[in-house]
Amino acid sequence: MGAPPKISNGIRALRFKHDEMTQKELADRIGVSRQTLNAIEGAKYSPSLEVAFRIARVFDLPLEEVFRFDELS
Amino acid sequence: MSNIQDTTNLHAERPGASFEEKSAWITLVCLLVLFTGYFAVAAQMLAAGVTESAVPYVPVFTLVVILLVVVLSVGHTIAAVTNRPEGRDERDRIIAWKAENHSSWLLGVGVLAAAFALATPIGPAWIANGLLMALFLAELLKHSLQPFYYRRGV
Repeated sequence: MGAPPKISNGIRALRFKHDEMTQKELADRIGVSRQTLNAIEGAKYSPSLEVAFRIARVFDLPLEEVFRFDELS
Repeated sequence: MSNIQDTTNLHAERPGASFEEKSAWITLVCLLVLFTGYFAVAAQMLAAGVTESAVPYVPVFTLVVILLVVVLSVGHTIAAVTNRPEGRDERDRIIAWKAENHSSWLLGVGVLAAAFALATPIGPAWIANGLLMALFLAELLKHSLQPFYYRRGV
């Protein structure tokens, strides 16, 4: 049971740049619970590609502008 | 490279535990309390020499299962009333699958041990309770791993 992979992201900053969107609003738009979105923001859960694309689509950005895979961690 | 600031380490909003996480905690506590009670009674019966048949254990086991259903229903109803369930999502399913995957081996070991015990003079009551113990431990491990994964991350 190794540590989960480190995929960092800028979702929290992006939410604030988008009219201070709440976690609940974004979670509802991408179809996950608020707790799951919180885990994604805190890099405690790496979302599926489907959810990752949905998040990127909400902010109208390419995937790599939202998520970053840190290969050294 | 992204020009968006990495905000994963910033102070996070802290939503309370999800219904699924609460459900895992409720099930863990209920299983622990009720089946510890069952095995305490079963141990006394085994020590008293009730080993030739598993039938005398059935009423105790039935009572524990009925109590478990009632307590789980009450616990989940209270959890649902205090925090409306948002529905299972992909993280809940992955955590459930991972916890099951890391705990089911215990049941397998118990079944194999019971199969070997059939070839020995060990009484059926020991074998039946051994199987129940394996099932109990597997469920206990599964419902312990779920809150762990919710807290640590997957």
